Amino acid sequence: MRAVIAEDLALLRDGLARILRAHDIDVAAAVGDPVALAAALEEQQPDIAIVDVRMPPTFTNEGLVAAIEARARRPGMPVLVLSQYVEQLYARELMLSGAEGVGYLLKDRVAEVGMFVETVRKVAGGGTVLDPDVVTGMLTHHDRNQVMARLTPREREVLGLMAEGRSNAAIAGKLVVTAKAVDKHINSIFMKLDLPLDADDNRRVLAVLRYLQTD
Amino acid sequence: MILRLEANVSVAIGLLMLIIWALAGARHFWPAWVWFGLAIPLGFQVAIRRGLRAPKGHRLLATHGAITGVLAVMLLTIWVLAGAGPFWPVWPILGLSVVFVGHAWIRHALPSAREQALADRVEVLTRTRRGALDVQAAELQRIERDLHDGAQARLVSVAMNLGLAEELLSKNPQSLTELLAEARSSTLTALDDLRTVMRGIQPPVLADRGLEGAIRALALDLAVPVTVSGEIPGRVPVPVESAAYFAVCECLANIVKHSSALQAMVDLGYRNGVLSVAVRDDGVGGASLTAGSGLRGVARRLEVFDGTITLASPAGGPTVVQMEVPCELSSPRT
Repeated sequence: MRAVIAEDLALLRDGLARILRAHDIDVAAAVGDPVALAAALEEQQPDIAIVDVRMPPTFTNEGLVAAIEARARRPGMPVLVLSQYVEQLYARELMLSGAEGVGYLLKDRVAEVGMFVETVRKVAGGGTVLDPDVVTGMLTHHDRNQVMARLTPREREVLGLMAEGRSNAAIAGKLVVTAKAVDKHINSIFMKLDLPLDADDNRRVLAVLRYLQTD
Repeated sequence: MILRLEANVSVAIGLLMLIIWALAGARHFWPAWVWFGLAIPLGFQVAIRRGLRAPKGHRLLATHGAITGVLAVMLLTIWVLAGAGPFWPVWPILGLSVVFVGHAWIRHALPSAREQALADRVEVLTRTRRGALDVQAAELQRIERDLHDGAQARLVSVAMNLGLAEELLSKNPQSLTELLAEARSSTLTALDDLRTVMRGIQPPVLADRGLEGAIRALALDLAVPVTVSGEIPGRVPVPVESAAYFAVCECLANIVKHSSALQAMVDLGYRNGVLSVAVRDDGVGGASLTAGSGLRGVARRLEVFDGTITLASPAGGPTVVQMEVPCELSSPRT
């Protein structure tokens, strides 16, 4: 697997590259600004781009904008956006460019190296992974939305874990229930959110997307 | 009090005249003229009193109006007492009215010196308030940027290194040394970064030792030798202290960076309610207060306290930055 890293702080750029290389992910390019990122993506056609939100020249959300642009140029291009703080708004903007092959994480999560690398592979494979902080923020506002209000607290919990990109088995482990019980919850969620019977993965993404678009 | 006594005496004299007139046969009603004579001083006094009770800034005009009114009533009374012949009072009353209206118009058209001073003050306050908010916003932005790119980024990097180290512990323990050393040095650098940010917000030594002590401490850290002289007989208010401290920081930083000076001097003083700080150097001069220079920011910070900054920096030097801030000192340090 080949990755392109865009991060303006050399310290973190090197740290990320080291972690990826240690897990047999080839770092095709490591750049420090959005222009170089666009060029690297064009040239390298990587399996995933790992992009910092704040980059030059204005040090606001260039990285986010660059990630969305990259996905506009190459639809479905897997992008994992990293930041030192997370905003629900940014998660939503990112998901509007399509919910598959998207990740949005606090940089702190990189420290759980095993999980981070797993996330990189999941996003590169078309999965959706949101930071637990974003998910928690959304959970606390579920009451604003009627559709979300239909879910039981347990179902909201399961949906939150789905949004974090966890598998059924992982959700079962986390909630200390059987995989069968998780299956039941997920089916109930799909039904309550009026999601059609389709490829299971796609429905998971749709559920998360529905979840994100609630206001 | 006196006015009341005067009024009572006047009424008594008036009644006495009436009695004399009645005893003398109640012919031509001459006491009216006596009453009139008694009423004039009373009328003027009441008018002036009323006028002076008007709100500040309108007193002159109000007094003028009241006196004009009393004069008009006087003229009309004379005309009535004199037998109400041809209506001659129209002319003097017209004259008095014209003068009064003229006065009122001038008052209205030309703002008084006081109003002008207030307007100027409002303008200064508006400008300095905007300046203060700009300076503050820029400060907050700088602090956020420093934390984000400094301590926070270093801690993230430490976490990454430790995460990787944890993984390698079972697989390849030899490779840990470098990762751990890097994590340790990043932690120390993060601490340094935090100290720098804190010093930029509020240097601990400023709270501990006040302006004078903090400037002496600052002088010890600089590459150019700095002599600090003078004394402040008390504690400068915290906001002024902070502004003055960072002003001196900026001046000294400029000296180190641009002046090629061999030495610098900071002179502190407090006279007649004004804190004065002078920073001199024997460098090349040519400093300016124009926009973009750090001194411009210093000026904006001092303006908030009605402080001033003057700069003398001819090409070839020396450079003298003189800053003055009016403030009150709290009791001398114990």
